[in-house]
Amino acid sequence: MPKKESIIKAINMIIIKNSKGLAGISIVLFFVFMAILAPYIAPYDPYAVVGKPLQPPSPQHWLGTNDIGQDIWSEVLYGSRTSLLVGLTAPFIATLIALVLGLLAGYKGGVIDELISGAIDIMLALPTLPLIIILAAYLGPSLLNIILILAFFGWAGGARVFRAQVMSLRSREYVEAARALGASGMRIMFIHILPSLTPIILADIVMGATSAILTEAGLSFLGLGDPTVKSWGQILRHAQASYALQLDLWLWIFVPGLFIALLGTGFALIGFAIEEYMNPRIRQKI
Amino acid sequence: MNPYIYKRIIRSIVVFFIILIINFILPRAMPGNPASILANQYNLPAATVEILIKEWKLDAPLYEQFIAYIKSLFTGQWGYSYQYYPRTVYEIVMERLPWTLLLQGTTTVTVGLTGILLGILAGWRRGKISDTLITLSAVIVYAIPYYWLALLLQYFLGYKLRLFPISQALTPGAVYNSWFDYVVDVLRHLALPVLAVTLTAYASYTLITRNTMIDLLGEDFVFVSRAMGLPENKIMRMVARNAMLPPITMLTIRVGYIIGGAVITETIFSYPGLGYLIYQSIIYKDYPVLNAAFFMLSVTIILANLAADFIYMFLDPRIRYGERR
Repeated sequence: MPKKESIIKAINMIIIKNSKGLAGISIVLFFVFMAILAPYIAPYDPYAVVGKPLQPPSPQHWLGTNDIGQDIWSEVLYGSRTSLLVGLTAPFIATLIALVLGLLAGYKGGVIDELISGAIDIMLALPTLPLIIILAAYLGPSLLNIILILAFFGWAGGARVFRAQVMSLRSREYVEAARALGASGMRIMFIHILPSLTPIILADIVMGATSAILTEAGLSFLGLGDPTVKSWGQILRHAQASYALQLDLWLWIFVPGLFIALLGTGFALIGFAIEEYMNPRIRQKI
Repeated sequence: MNPYIYKRIIRSIVVFFIILIINFILPRAMPGNPASILANQYNLPAATVEILIKEWKLDAPLYEQFIAYIKSLFTGQWGYSYQYYPRTVYEIVMERLPWTLLLQGTTTVTVGLTGILLGILAGWRRGKISDTLITLSAVIVYAIPYYWLALLLQYFLGYKLRLFPISQALTPGAVYNSWFDYVVDVLRHLALPVLAVTLTAYASYTLITRNTMIDLLGEDFVFVSRAMGLPENKIMRMVARNAMLPPITMLTIRVGYIIGGAVITETIFSYPGLGYLIYQSIIYKDYPVLNAAFFMLSVTIILANLAADFIYMFLDPRIRYGERR
């Protein structure tokens, strides 16, 4: 049973002592501040037409203006909100589904396990990207829909890991002891097994964040994102559709893409740090 | 044979049929029908729409459509494409498939080779500068969106330096004097998409190979081999061979996503493969093409997953070195 001190120690190991974890959390916090402060640091309203269209970068418009004359730098600052929102909520929901199903399948076994494992097999064998495109194209391009779609297609891998882990924990002595003392199935699942899954749960969420951010940006890039909110993928789409590169407006493409990559890397770095915490052999040799 | 294998195969078949049902339902559950989408596109009169709906049996009950769908998939009679009417789906798919196989086959090899070799090197030289550089660069490119890198490559290598063509698979209207000219043209068009995917996708293979290498280097058999005085390069080869198993399994699973994963790459480069076709067919609700494409997608994914399972079962080092964990 992890005590409070050991959780603090774990956090210390993951984000303070580990340079990857420290870099990752710094990057993510950087974008969190950008998202919170966007209205105060953005030079213009990103939805307002504030200049002539397709202007090159200038002191007034650091990254220039887009095809309808909105300030690109302000768009980029507001875009961090969309990426963070999707990157945090979609994997959170996905991991929650994965956890419930993984616990049930791993702990109960039998028919329940067969059904859940079957569902996992099906989800993992679906042609995900084309189906996501279909759903995003026809459910209507709202941010909520995209979050739900990503969560729906994102739980299966995690559920498989949780299931395997629960199955191996189920037969450990301390769980057997709790059962012998008459603890209920629910109590064992949530009080005895769940806490030792914490690092895997966190790793699943942050790794899911990276892929959710990349997929959301990809969908917006294809024109299937929410057109009413600014997002980095959508900025890239408009840049490409306006032949930004042929017009030598390459910063228009460079900066939003760089931010997608940076935020994704930030979450991935935290994930790597958690992985190293769980597998000390990888850690000790760095 | 192992009973596990039978169980796995039967399960895959069941999963496959359920996926066929999902592939049927999802595109049809969405609003809008293909005849009116085409009518909008080409300003067709209402009477033509009626005829198309009759002709394509879009007004038939769903279960009849479903039976026709299953029949067509397994007989290979995939019917006519809606968007390229009156061309047959088979004809279009077979025209596109080689390009996707070429593009994705090449990237699978380049991604696998780059990823695994760099991972072996980093794992073997763990803690040294080369390891730090390789791991750091892998961590950095891990989350780079490949479509973004593709756009930048199009700009710098294609548009600015004019090294490679930025779209299509062949120069439009080109006349080739020899097969050699043809091959060169194909390769030049292949360069940017392959580069964009390789430079972003190799990272996860490098990281997993490196971690497995380090894991294995801490095992007793390495310690014993060293104590026995086995030369270092032999030890490296022994460890590397085993460290390749997880990334090779990953690569096998990746093969399953070859067609689906091509959607965005091919759309950016207007590459005439199946991925681009799928994207267009979703937009036009071209059911016959989607049926055939999703059928092929599902078959490849299921076969690749099965293959990965079996590779793992037969080659897992834990099975060979005995269960110790």
